[in-house]
Amino acid sequence: MLEEFKKYFWIAKAISRLALSTQKEVVVRFLTAKKKYLPDGKTKAHVDDILKCALCPNMCRFDCPVLQAAKSETYAPAGRARIAYLLEMGRVSSQDAVDLMYACAACSACQQWCPFDFSVDDLLIGVRRDLVDRNLAPEMLMGIRDQIVNSHTIYQNSRTSLGLEPREADILYVAGCTVLNKERVIAQTTMKILEKVGIAVTTLPEEWCCGAPLNLLGFENDFKEFAARNADIIEKSGCKKMICSCPECVYTFKDVYAEAGFPVKADVMHTSEYFLELIEQGKIQLKELNKDLVYHDPCVLARKLHIIEQPRRVLEAIPGVSVREPPLTREHTRCCGIGGLLAMTNPELSVTLLRARDSELCELADTVVTACPACKIAFKRTRNSESRDLSEIVFESMNQ
Amino acid sequence: MSSENTTGHTHGSDYEIVYPQTPLSAEQKEQILVNLQKIVGKRNVSHRELDRLSYSRDYWPIALRWMLEGKVPALPEFVVWPETADHISRIMRMANEENLAVTPFGEGSGVLGAAIPVQGGIIVDMKRMNAVLALDDTNLTITVQPGINGMNLERFLNQKGYTLGHIPQSLYCSTLGGWLACRAAGQFSTKYGKIDDILISLEAVFPQGTIIRSKPVPKSSTGPRIDMLLLGAEGTLGIITEATLKIWPYPEKRVLQSYVFSHLEEALESIRIILRRGIFPAVARLYDQVETERHFYRTKKTRGKCVLILILEGDRELVDLEGSVSHAVCTEHGGISVGEGPAAHWLETRFNVKEISEFTPRDVVFDTIEVSVMWDKSMELYQSMISAMKSIDGVIIASAHASHFYPQGVCFYFTFGGTPMTGSPTDFYQTVWDAAMKACLHAGGSISHHHGIGILRSPWVQQELGSSLEVLRTIKKALDPEYVMNPGKMGL
Ligand SMILES: Cc1cc2nc3c(=O)[nH]c(=O)nc-3n(C[C@H](O)[C@H](O)[C@H](O)COP(=O)(O)OP(=O)(O)OC[C@H]3O[C@@H](n4cnc5c(N)ncnc54)[C@H](O)[C@@H]3O)c2cc1C
Ligand code: SF4
Ligand code: SF4
Repeated sequence: MLEEFKKYFWIAKAISRLALSTQKEVVVRFLTAKKKYLPDGKTKAHVDDILKCALCPNMCRFDCPVLQAAKSETYAPAGRARIAYLLEMGRVSSQDAVDLMYACAACSACQQWCPFDFSVDDLLIGVRRDLVDRNLAPEMLMGIRDQIVNSHTIYQNSRTSLGLEPREADILYVAGCTVLNKERVIAQTTMKILEKVGIAVTTLPEEWCCGAPLNLLGFENDFKEFAARNADIIEKSGCKKMICSCPECVYTFKDVYAEAGFPVKADVMHTSEYFLELIEQGKIQLKELNKDLVYHDPCVLARKLHIIEQPRRVLEAIPGVSVREPPLTREHTRCCGIGGLLAMTNPELSVTLLRARDSELCELADTVVTACPACKIAFKRTRNSESRDLSEIVFESMNQ
Repeated sequence: MSSENTTGHTHGSDYEIVYPQTPLSAEQKEQILVNLQKIVGKRNVSHRELDRLSYSRDYWPIALRWMLEGKVPALPEFVVWPETADHISRIMRMANEENLAVTPFGEGSGVLGAAIPVQGGIIVDMKRMNAVLALDDTNLTITVQPGINGMNLERFLNQKGYTLGHIPQSLYCSTLGGWLACRAAGQFSTKYGKIDDILISLEAVFPQGTIIRSKPVPKSSTGPRIDMLLLGAEGTLGIITEATLKIWPYPEKRVLQSYVFSHLEEALESIRIILRRGIFPAVARLYDQVETERHFYRTKKTRGKCVLILILEGDRELVDLEGSVSHAVCTEHGGISVGEGPAAHWLETRFNVKEISEFTPRDVVFDTIEVSVMWDKSMELYQSMISAMKSIDGVIIASAHASHFYPQGVCFYFTFGGTPMTGSPTDFYQTVWDAAMKACLHAGGSISHHHGIGILRSPWVQQELGSSLEVLRTIKKALDPEYVMNPGKMGL
């Protein structure tokens, strides 16, 4: 408060020099004018913030992968905010405008440059909630919602467990939908690593999606149901520590559940953090592995969870491994194209993003290592390099 | 600007258009669309309402306010993303045949409406021409396409151990083409020069489709430089499609200095002497009392004073020497050193642009005005412009800093903010600008140092240029007889 006062003191001083009657009018206008420019009714979107973003000169545009792929003002961060504002004000209503609200990789690259600390994906979630409430959410996305709500995972004909018997354990491992259905090898290596070092770990008999896609797409009520069920079942597992292979799951369980009023009563960790803990305790023994790798920071891990050092320290602990850094690295990493469900909402843009990132990585080494199953799948698709998860490299080194 | 508004005519949309156009007939539209698709390919043309809306504005503050009032500045008929100079040449030939306006577009950070398609027609967005073509260490040059974003260019150079030295506050949100078209100036310009000084040669398409290419040489004596016509022409005389620029090795050392002065004159005098002695600080920024209070309220010693910050950078030994000379000059002229603090604070916060976002929805009309003047008239210009702005009913703040310096003179960068007590915000805005421009001209300054003319400054160009404007109009007519290139701008 004091800081705010100091910040605006120069204005207050200038106003104090005006005639008394003018002073009053200026202050009243300053405090009340905004209302005129916001929607009359209640909205879930923070239109006040969206308006600030819409009036920004796009200070984050150079780093927004969606804009850099589309190369069109329509996809500029402030451009999307402007259309969001016009939608919320009822001044535009086209399907194109609605669809644009989903063209975001939820990568938070914008946030690091934003003077307001906005991440455009957070702003857009509110708009999407309003679109859901007004029955304007695109049909394809309603299909995704139905799939998740009915099958408890985003993948069709899917699996929701590792098929293991629950057991008495301190650690709960939640693999996540993508690992269970597309990258089982990550779960297998993770479980084997933990077994090998003698950690008692259990899994859930039926893993429901963490709900991140529901939250991202604005299906707030459905998301809350998933959050309530998952928070409850995690508590009932009795485990005080829970580890996940997917950064999006960690972020959702840890931060989004708490914000939605369903805090998870366990210490939620990403596998990279846990592996490092075990290495530092001398429990994981790593052997020589002669490999040149390039590490790709997953956006959510690096920017939302600030887990940047841990995966690097895990890799550096492996004798013989040399880790290269791409030009856009650590908190400045660039999205692989899968984030924010972009591959579903805007497949062409998603591929352009992927190609751009992949070409930066495969210039540096034949093997790309990452710590997110979705990123791994993305890089696998380009076939320009070998794409591995951190757990696989750790496991390989332990078994040399 | 027209005060007559037309309602947005597209289905389901509800907004007014400030510069309305008679829409093309359906057949004309279809025909032009097909032609454009033939030139640039289907994926590089759009006539969707969404895209047209997205290209309806730049960063002209009053036009941003119009959004709140339910208005859209102007809608182009088509948006086109060329990929080669040949594409642009063919677009220009077609535009001449169809008599369609063509407005080049970079990243829309221009602050005077220069990129607003006031006559509809075609927006030529340059963003898909953003390749780095060559980096030459021996010649210290880089050759790039103009659609490249400033920060992405600077990031590329930094990774390779160089800098362009052109760091405008809009580095993150503007393109090389926009800089050249507006004759932009970076915050480090006192050492590295403005974009005009940084340019070596270019390729461009003239309004009737002719492609020119100037030679990359350090200097030549082969007649007037035709390529220079494009500099500062704001897309009214052609479209820049490639440029070779000077680059510098990334500075080895940076020295930060900050001083407080009781009077603006003393600080101005210090900088004048520093430059006269042949020292060119990369950054020199001098704030008047109001702006000092606004930006440096955290440093106690700055209260009631004017802050000067200097950043010297380059070769280690040279920078150390320059640092001690500039320190001596400042202290001899009444400056008191306050350490690195304010300079470091500026470096850290220089891209935090919040004003328009914070103040516009609060009905505060806000803008900045940059002008240049020779040393001998500098204080007179500063005082008369501040008084002129303050004299307008509703102005709450009028302040300035000086941020680009020459041995011969200085650029002042004014800020005004206010809330109209009577009349519309747009009228209030025009009135303040009018007062400021008149005061500037009267004091012998130039009405723009680096933002350009656009729509907003057009009314004062005649007084600024005198009979040169007639010559410029003759050139425009010869090069663009159909007036298709960015019409309605620069008083042309
Ligand atoms: C926050 C902020 C800070 C700023 N700071 C500075 C600063 O420090 N220094 C400074 O000089 N300016 C500054 N500006 C102004 C603005 O950034 C510059 O005018 C910039 O040069 C515009 O670039 P752009 O790519 O955004 O161009 P646009 O706004 O898109 O276009 C500007 C003009 O250039 C024309 N144009 C664009 N590309 C081409 C091309 N390839 N060939 C021919 N014509 C073309 C357009 O038709 C238009 O007339 C600032 C603006 C903002 C919003
Ligand atoms: S979250 Fe990522 S994709 Fe979305 S606007 Fe921000 S930078 Fe762009
Ligand atoms: S996210 Fe922040 S920096 Fe980016 S456009 Fe919006 S307000 Fe500007």
